[in-house]
Amino acid sequence: MERAEKRWLAILAIIAVGANVITLSPLVPWQSWLLWNPPQPVQEIHFSVSNYTFHLPPGGITVPVNQPVRFVGTSEDVTYGFGVFRKDGGMLFQMQVIPGYANGITWVFDTPGTYDVRSTEYSGPGHVGMFVPDAIRVVG
Amino acid sequence: MRPYTTSVERIALRYELLAMGALAVAIIEGMLLRSNLLNLPLLETDHWYAVLTAHPLVGIYGWAYLAVMGAFTYLVPKLLTKPLYSPRLATITMWTIVAGLAMAWSAGFFLRFAALYTVYWPLPVVRFPPVSVTLFAVGLATVEVGVLLFVVNIASTVLRRPKGEKAKARPTTALLLAALGIDVAVVAVGNFVARRKAAKAAASADGGVAVRVKSAQLPVFVVSVVRGSVDAVINAVVLAGAGIVMLVFALPALVAGVSLDPANVDPLVYKNVFWWGLDMVADGDVLIWVAGTLYLLAPILTGGKLYGESVVRWVILADLVVSMFVWSHHLMSDLPQPVYMRLISGQFVTWGEFFTMGLSFFAALMTVWGARPVKMSMPLKFMLGGIFGFMLGGFSGLLQANTGLNVIMHNTQWVPGFHVHEMILVGLGNIIFAVVYALLPMLTGTGLKSVRLANAHFWLWTIGGVGMAFSMGLSWSLGALRRTLYPGTDLYIPYQASAAVFGAILAAGFAAFVVNLVRTYGLKTLLGLFGPETKPAKP
Repeated sequence: MERAEKRWLAILAIIAVGANVITLSPLVPWQSWLLWNPPQPVQEIHFSVSNYTFHLPPGGITVPVNQPVRFVGTSEDVTYGFGVFRKDGGMLFQMQVIPGYANGITWVFDTPGTYDVRSTEYSGPGHVGMFVPDAIRVVG
Repeated sequence: MRPYTTSVERIALRYELLAMGALAVAIIEGMLLRSNLLNLPLLETDHWYAVLTAHPLVGIYGWAYLAVMGAFTYLVPKLLTKPLYSPRLATITMWTIVAGLAMAWSAGFFLRFAALYTVYWPLPVVRFPPVSVTLFAVGLATVEVGVLLFVVNIASTVLRRPKGEKAKARPTTALLLAALGIDVAVVAVGNFVARRKAAKAAASADGGVAVRVKSAQLPVFVVSVVRGSVDAVINAVVLAGAGIVMLVFALPALVAGVSLDPANVDPLVYKNVFWWGLDMVADGDVLIWVAGTLYLLAPILTGGKLYGESVVRWVILADLVVSMFVWSHHLMSDLPQPVYMRLISGQFVTWGEFFTMGLSFFAALMTVWGARPVKMSMPLKFMLGGIFGFMLGGFSGLLQANTGLNVIMHNTQWVPGFHVHEMILVGLGNIIFAVVYALLPMLTGTGLKSVRLANAHFWLWTIGGVGMAFSMGLSWSLGALRRTLYPGTDLYIPYQASAAVFGAILAAGFAAFVVNLVRTYGLKTLLGLFGPETKPAKP
């Protein structure tokens, strides 16, 4: 291996290690919840999806701000997605909802307000209509 | 164009022309799809998804695979100074893939099969009529049979000994190890053992002699092609297998009205196996075949020697390991998937591509640098454009394959924008055109006539590709999802309008290439390539 190659390989290694260390560190809040310090959720919200429809808890979903809450979803037919969006359209988080499994994600909302839910996985042509405005209310 | 070309040259040209035809179809499909994203729908919603299902198949297997196969069918025998194992098989391969694609495309266009190329279980059999599932599955399996035939032809060409060469001169095992790129490891281990033995002998007796283990080294380009064939075989078997699974459920429903329970197939296991196979194209063949092409093009186009060939041989081997274990980056949002799989296979192994491609690009660029002064030929320009595209698309791919960032990137427009179209159009597209511009003079005796049109092709294609990919990708910042229409919402229209304009620029670049092709050779000559071969008139 020539000197230039060794230097280039070192640069690649520094970038790779640096990028992975930073993005896996607790500096990224949800990495902290996922990998380092899984919080105990104060509330667990169960929902199911079938035939292009989200079956959310009756009365709507209300969760506290700055507290960990867990969403657990099941599908009765095909794979869907569960995405939570801010009112400006930006995505907060999402997960796949695979049939036959309890699909769960823990999240801490840091801003009160209402949030929309949209399926983030194509499940057939009816996927387009899988949008629930103001599905989640974050209070506190 | 030469009045008479040998069969392999003619076959390669046919492959390239069909590939360009498929690219034209993929571009038209892209424009149709964009109209709906602009809320100016030219397609009904179910038809839009059917076209979205066909679009990547036409783009990958129709354009990229046919273009690459045509080039390799000509180049591998030429580099080995051997005849192609079977020109007839090459022709059968080509038409098998075209027939399979026509079936899969028809299933979508006419029968509205729209389970997308991902065909996540049990979507195909739950949502779509059995007749459309059957046609799509048979089409997909047929395409994969074509891929397997290509591998048989190339492997047989590489492994077949020339007449008169004795097996002892180059044993088949050694040739196979060399062709797969495994020989570097075998040689390294063998030499290490030999050195240890020699050192022991030297310490205990009068001295020892290290026995150097030798390999039946093949050109790195050929090694890359054969090594990529491993991925192609796995991809073909898995995708054909998915087609068979679909048939098992669709045929009883179609023939006897019997519905089997799709819950008998685990969706997560299916998804893992499917992505393992599918990723053999995206993270296997695309990368290793492009790397191999760079190893060939860079020295040829500059007149220099490939920089760091010994390292490159290790890169080819490393890439084999990477491609086998990288698939889980497609399942990072599948939370029942174990965390260690998402981290190791999903994130860390993906960074392996950063090293393999980083070293491959370095080898190509250092080859160009070391050969200065270099004439900036058209193929070299496209080659450098391709490396630029892969750098942009590869960087965005690393970000989305991060367990943390994937939470806000998965299935958004970031993926098809910044990553997929950047990689395929600007990265792979420019490399394919570099090969086409380099090959045409070899195959026909004449290069493309107009340098001005060729330059227009390069700049319009590259600017259009980058602009389109960025326009799509930036809509991610407002939460735009892929595979999703937003009727009645104008939030993403500026991004899609920008993507449409840049898409038109890209299409204009391709049109410049087609005009140049037709002006150089004549439409009649090009279409005549598909007719019977004629021998030259004697002077």
